[in-house]
Amino acid sequence: MIDPSWIAALGVILFGIGLLGTFYHKNAIVVLMCIELMLNAANLNFVAAASHYGDVSGWVFTAIAIAIAAAEVAIGLAILLSMYSTQQTISLDAASKLRN
Amino acid sequence: MAIDFETLVFVIVSGAAVAGAIGCVFASRVAHSLLWLMLTFFAVAAVFLMASAEMLGAIQILVYLGSVMLVVQFGVMLTRRRIQGAESLPTLNFISAVTGVGLFALTLALLREVMEHPMWDSEVAGAPTTLEFADALFNQWTIATIVLGALLAMAMIGASYLVRDERLINLVWDTGQETVTASPGVGMPTRRDFPSSPGEQDGGEEE
Repeated sequence: MIDPSWIAALGVILFGIGLLGTFYHKNAIVVLMCIELMLNAANLNFVAAASHYGDVSGWVFTAIAIAIAAAEVAIGLAILLSMYSTQQTISLDAASKLRN
Repeated sequence: MAIDFETLVFVIVSGAAVAGAIGCVFASRVAHSLLWLMLTFFAVAAVFLMASAEMLGAIQILVYLGSVMLVVQFGVMLTRRRIQGAESLPTLNFISAVTGVGLFALTLALLREVMEHPMWDSEVAGAPTTLEFADALFNQWTIATIVLGALLAMAMIGASYLVRDERLINLVWDTGQETVTASPGVGMPTRRDFPSSPGEQDGGEEE
């Protein structure tokens, strides 16, 4: 099996790229996608630690994080659609209110 | 030094993951960002497989690529009008450059910190099995799993509450005997299509 520290390093790199994307973009959907990328990077770290210690808790945390990420995407996109119907844009620069 | 097959596969897969992430951040259109992100998620699922977490790889593909990306695709399509073209492109100025350099330095510092952490000094114990995973998830973490199901239900209810449409036309139950024939060429029925007097309803039935 490959060295678990390499998996953790891949997680760190993906986290850095996702963090850059959240700062870089104005479009709220792309920011949401970059947050998903960062969550995946955290999952990689959990899996690396689980492989290193032989402890299954890392896998359980990863499954919980994936489920919460799915819920978060649903809520986030609902907020974005609500914002689009009131303001006709989803640019984060224009987002100053959620309700007219 | 000979490079074994597994290392080669890991290098290819992680290269695909990093390339997909960079493409997601720097693609000019949102739909292209989405496709690059799907490449990254596939690569991460492959890394899960290589770490002998087959169940997590399956969950990753089913949940992320099957449902989350579908929902995001719906979001892209429903808000498509204003997000393509120049508006979504970032503006580069001094503060952006400083932020980019700072994030790059932060990533390098994190990488060094993670790679040289003393936890990697101990012996590698090997990955747990899927049977242990099932046992932990449904015996040790039962309450967490149940609460997770309740959380998902609450999230779905909240999402449908946020995107509800309170116009009167959506609150009137369609009985199927009037509506569409009254206004040909219009897909969605309007308030005019719901007659208030019984005589109009009879006329609609005769047609």
